[in-house]
Amino acid sequence: MPDWEALVEKHLADLSLDPAERAEVIAELAAHLEESCEELRRRGTTEEEAVRRTLSQVEDWQDLRRRIQTSRTKENIMTSRVRQFWFPSLLTLLLSMGLLMLIQFFGPNPWIAARRSGWSLIAPVAVIYLPWLFLLPLIGAVGAYLSNRAGGSQRIMFSSIVFPVLPYLVFFLLALPVTALFNESLGHNIMFLALFVGLLAWVVAPGAALLTGGVLARTFLSRRSDARRIVSS
Amino acid sequence: MIGSGIKRGTAELAILSVLEEGPLHGYEMARRIEEQTKGALRFTLAALYPMLYRMEQRGWIRGTWETGPSGRRKRCYRLTPAGKKKLSPLRKEWAELFGALKRLTKVLHA
Repeated sequence: MPDWEALVEKHLADLSLDPAERAEVIAELAAHLEESCEELRRRGTTEEEAVRRTLSQVEDWQDLRRRIQTSRTKENIMTSRVRQFWFPSLLTLLLSMGLLMLIQFFGPNPWIAARRSGWSLIAPVAVIYLPWLFLLPLIGAVGAYLSNRAGGSQRIMFSSIVFPVLPYLVFFLLALPVTALFNESLGHNIMFLALFVGLLAWVVAPGAALLTGGVLARTFLSRRSDARRIVSS
Repeated sequence: MIGSGIKRGTAELAILSVLEEGPLHGYEMARRIEEQTKGALRFTLAALYPMLYRMEQRGWIRGTWETGPSGRRKRCYRLTPAGKKKLSPLRKEWAELFGALKRLTKVLHA
């Protein structure tokens, strides 16, 4: 009897999937061929004939490789990435921006963190919407739940959770310094410390709030699936 | 209306139908389909696995590795709730096609 796994691996050498996924496909196809051959042997077919008939199941290995490749990657990219990353990311972005707008229009006044000199504030000034920060963990939890439900890895899940703060990160790290370089009036007023405070108020704090909700949701979901596994075993 | 993907739908229907009875690995699935259709439907390895992987990507079935009594590891597929949901419209579509063909052949032989 041939070494089915080695045989499949040889024929599907060009199968470009990630190593673990590729090994799974090869093991699964090899197990199928092996079982098929054993069944023929049990029915009294000679070994040579059983191997020949088993191998005749695949007329064109290149065609099979192409079809497996297509079925495991094209839809994977089109659907899994959307379900695991883009959908939770865009939803958390939309929810967090919508919530911020609602709080800005209808909510209490923001907390202004700055040093004071008499009645006036000294830059840098941080405008912090506390109700927004307190509600962000809920949005992080929604993002974590959606990504987890779609089978997203931990890395994908956390990326989708912190997605809403990325526009602010780009603004503070890229847009604002570039503008400061080319706009003289802004350049005079901008301070390095202001950038740091802005990052802290609009990137670090909301990011931490989103991640807190995401981590809690992730812990809850993994405990629940562990409990299910114990019950089913 | 009968969908344009009816041909592929029949293969999907066959797989979803056998999995409705319980989880199966690929080889057993192909054998069961061949047996239950008295050889009218045959899945070779080359036809079966790309179809299974596509259906898994769509979330209709889920494959998990299991170790059998012989110690051999096999990937067992089971229906997901989405797969169960998909089964009934597929059955309806297939019944519609049969009905249409039946009516057509009656007219032609009348």
